[in-house]
Amino acid sequence: MAAEKAEMDALKKECDGLRAQIEAARKAVNDGSMSAASSGVASVGRVQLKLRKTLKGHLAKIYAMHWSADSRQMVSASQDGKLLIWDCFTGNKLIAVPLKSAWVMSVAFAPSGNLVASGGLDNICTVYNIKAASPKTLRELDAHTGYLSCCRFLSDTEILTASGDTTCCLWDLETGKQKVIFTNHIGDCMSLALSPDTNTFISGACDSLAKLWDLREGACKQTFSGHTSDINAISFFPNGNAIITGSDDCQCKMYDLRADQEVICYQDTSLNAGVTSLALSSSGRLIFAGYDDFNCHIWDSLKGEKVGVLSGHDNRVSCTGVPADGMGVCTGSWDSFLKLWN
Amino acid sequence: MEEWDIPQMKREVESLQYQLAINREKSSITVTELVKWIEGCVCEDPFLNPELMRANPWVEKGKCVIL
Repeated sequence: MAAEKAEMDALKKECDGLRAQIEAARKAVNDGSMSAASSGVASVGRVQLKLRKTLKGHLAKIYAMHWSADSRQMVSASQDGKLLIWDCFTGNKLIAVPLKSAWVMSVAFAPSGNLVASGGLDNICTVYNIKAASPKTLRELDAHTGYLSCCRFLSDTEILTASGDTTCCLWDLETGKQKVIFTNHIGDCMSLALSPDTNTFISGACDSLAKLWDLREGACKQTFSGHTSDINAISFFPNGNAIITGSDDCQCKMYDLRADQEVICYQDTSLNAGVTSLALSSSGRLIFAGYDDFNCHIWDSLKGEKVGVLSGHDNRVSCTGVPADGMGVCTGSWDSFLKLWN
Repeated sequence: MEEWDIPQMKREVESLQYQLAINREKSSITVTELVKWIEGCVCEDPFLNPELMRANPWVEKGKCVIL
């Protein structure tokens, strides 16, 4: 017992030492600042968007939404036990997918538009073929031992999931089996995002850390700290060199992947609500962050200033998404409505 | 981490060693390049370039004609 404890203590000391070395390495390259780099950049002014459509159809809290790659269709998930696929040009509902389990927390559209996936407190990621005459369950991915918080398709044959069991997983949809399991977080994984080049992905968790992973090797390449509570939302910058996180600590942060550190924090003393979701405009200049205060606040990512707000929901904004063509933003809420703004 | 056993702790050490070994670039360069990249894309960002929002897919048709 004593020998084990001694070995544990030695290993813990080694970990502490390594973390200190990582911090030192970060300090050593920290010779610039975002405020300096963006001082010469013109302000975006006030960003005032109009509410273009309110999509009504769900009967309970909306927990997730995801745009199709065509920037026209969008899928939403509600704890009324349904996924709804919308045509956002007309506002019409195209398809309703009834769920086996109503406790859904995440939904995703495959890039092809052929499949959608969802999951939640059932711990299962279910993949549906929506091109069939009526939505057909293609696969039930059942290996996580905790809730499914987020899922994203790489293609019609691979999907990434994040779970309350603290792991993320890459699945092969042809076999229904796990290909790679990503373990390193010590808290529930809440959110994930794929890099633009699909070689890596990032995850945010309740251990208040964001991690960058090699998709094929399974290793954690970088860990970003600074938040003081659960990270609920995470996204890559369009060029893949930076990431944005949103947390229950009411802050968003930008981490620079090449310098391996936080470069700017988006916070406001008047904002005392947790960040639930976030999305970036196509250039990355604007951050649309959904908060528990029923609003979606718009941040200038370079200047760190609040430049606008989307008000209109009667409850928490739970999900936010900008389509691939960048032509607007969708917010989904516990008030059961989705709103389209531009 | 309090409930970790020795193999898990060893894996954490390995992971930290791997993470320590990455190449870090000077933030004066990386942040400047990030700012430049974003600025370069602003003209193609429909939220920031009103020209691009003229053909607005979410507005009821019939109000504007696209020539």
